[in-house]
Amino acid sequence: MKIQALCLSVLLLIGLNSCKKDTGGTLTLHFKAFYDGQSLRMFDTKPFTNPEQVQFTHLSFMVSDLQLLDQSAKVNLKDVELVDLSFDDANSADGGYTITIDNLPAKSYSGLSFGIGVPADMNSKKPADYPSSSPLSNSSYYWVAWDSFIFMKTEGRIDTIGNGSFDTGFAFHTGTDNLYRIVMANIPILIEDGKNKNIDIDLDYKKVLDGIDIKSNPQNHNPKDSLQIKVLVQNLSNALTLVQ
Amino acid sequence: MNFLNKAPGFYFIVMMCCIGLYRCHDTIDSPGVADVDLTHIPYQPIPYLPDIPTGFPALEQPVDNPMTIDGIRLGRKLFYDPILSIDSTISCSSCHQQPKSFTDQLDFSPGVSGNTHRSSISLLNVAFQYHGFFWDGRAATLELQALQPIENVIEMGESWENVETKLRRNSGYQSDFRKAFGIESASMINRDLATKAISQFERTIISGGNTRYDRFVRGEIFLNDNETNGYLMFFNVDPVLPDAQCGHCHTAPLFGTTDYFNNGLQESADLEGFADKGLGAITGKASDNGKFKTPTLRNLVFTAPYMHDGRFTTIQQVVEHYTSGGKFSPNKSAFLNNLHLTESQKSDLISFILTLTDSSVLTNPAYKNPF
Repeated sequence: MKIQALCLSVLLLIGLNSCKKDTGGTLTLHFKAFYDGQSLRMFDTKPFTNPEQVQFTHLSFMVSDLQLLDQSAKVNLKDVELVDLSFDDANSADGGYTITIDNLPAKSYSGLSFGIGVPADMNSKKPADYPSSSPLSNSSYYWVAWDSFIFMKTEGRIDTIGNGSFDTGFAFHTGTDNLYRIVMANIPILIEDGKNKNIDIDLDYKKVLDGIDIKSNPQNHNPKDSLQIKVLVQNLSNALTLVQ
Repeated sequence: MNFLNKAPGFYFIVMMCCIGLYRCHDTIDSPGVADVDLTHIPYQPIPYLPDIPTGFPALEQPVDNPMTIDGIRLGRKLFYDPILSIDSTISCSSCHQQPKSFTDQLDFSPGVSGNTHRSSISLLNVAFQYHGFFWDGRAATLELQALQPIENVIEMGESWENVETKLRRNSGYQSDFRKAFGIESASMINRDLATKAISQFERTIISGGNTRYDRFVRGEIFLNDNETNGYLMFFNVDPVLPDAQCGHCHTAPLFGTTDYFNNGLQESADLEGFADKGLGAITGKASDNGKFKTPTLRNLVFTAPYMHDGRFTTIQQVVEHYTSGGKFSPNKSAFLNNLHLTESQKSDLISFILTLTDSSVLTNPAYKNPF
């Protein structure tokens, strides 16, 4: 009788355990564009260096090696993603570009990290080396003269005299191995079973363009523009904000 | 004897003979209504292994439409067969002619009932495009692209129902479809298989590897001084020479992209003022208005006139347009500004673009009309 009871208990425990569904939690990242603290839509007129005004027409960047940090290990979330913030309407701009990762082990993580651009091993290849499903297959994001993928595109038009005539285009792109930047935020991130954790990653383009003379040099693809590209990349750390 | 004086019975006999003859013609290739069993025809598909030029992307064939020798053979027949149009005057090849690098060298392509409002775009290297077809990207895949011209009132003016009927009745196509797709009966011939076959053929139209540019990239030849200057400006490699801005949209190795740009052809004070909205008419996004697909520059010398509306008849006019900065609109590409290129620099730029010429594709027997 005792043996029968023991067997029954064991079976019951096994049954109960199998009923438990460990689905993990979800992390949702919202990348959003701002300008001087305000949500940024394409074609909005924004003040730049007085009397100049700018309108943005395209904002995007590559995010790579997206990871949740743990004290003992890193959890890889995504190899590479093209984050396109070129939204025309307010709702889309407010929502931002979303990356959702499901089924994450429930626990408290110590931070989040990602690269802006692509690391050297990915950058050593060309678009033709990637399948069409990869954002890196897009040859518009490769610049032959740099032998590099384009890490970040910031494009628009500038009104240089403040009369409302946005007659000059500007296009600032970044790239090359030495300008790949890893962004790391050491903040506790709690992932709970069956729950979604939202994190906003805000990028303020007024800060991205800080110190850039658009009027004098509205583009930066020539080898002689390397200093301007460095300024853009250095500005990133100030321009990014992580909000839980 | 006056023919008109014949008795009514005579005309009745003549009329019945005509009907009989017509019906005989109708059934030359098939029994018409009755289905035809095709299982006696061997189905032995042989995969087609494309010859991909060095440096080109891998050719990703759709999982549900792998290329086969018989599929391509069928697609080539369909591509050249005017049976697809309502009056049997227009085929795919009418607008995409091999000797013209698979364009028709016209500003607006003629169809069965007038002219279209776009210039035909080259099919060169269409196999490597995966994200949108037509100038405005209204077809997501090559197969879906091939579906549309048949029922376009201006282009071919036919219904797919009629085309399917015509193909099912034709004993030659019955056999071709069986060999290509393994169908068991003629009734299984449909638009899905027809467009798959056409797409298979179009994916074989690959150009690259034979041009001076490709040989230069492989280190086999040097470009001359003019071509080299043009190359340096095209890709903005040299700190001394100006950036001609070409390489942003016409990216190597295909010298086109699957992206869409407003290249300054239409002047508009706001985003709604474009006569031809292009991509915007498809996506419904105002910021896409006035944007068009970037065509390849390979074999440009054979594909005049240029732009989606064929407005420029020479490459010189195209270069002049781009170096002048184009017409204003809010979403005009940021790369289009007055470049202040000298006449010599413009000439060098054209010299480089001409290194992308591959005349072998114009006479390649694999692409010729099989009829």
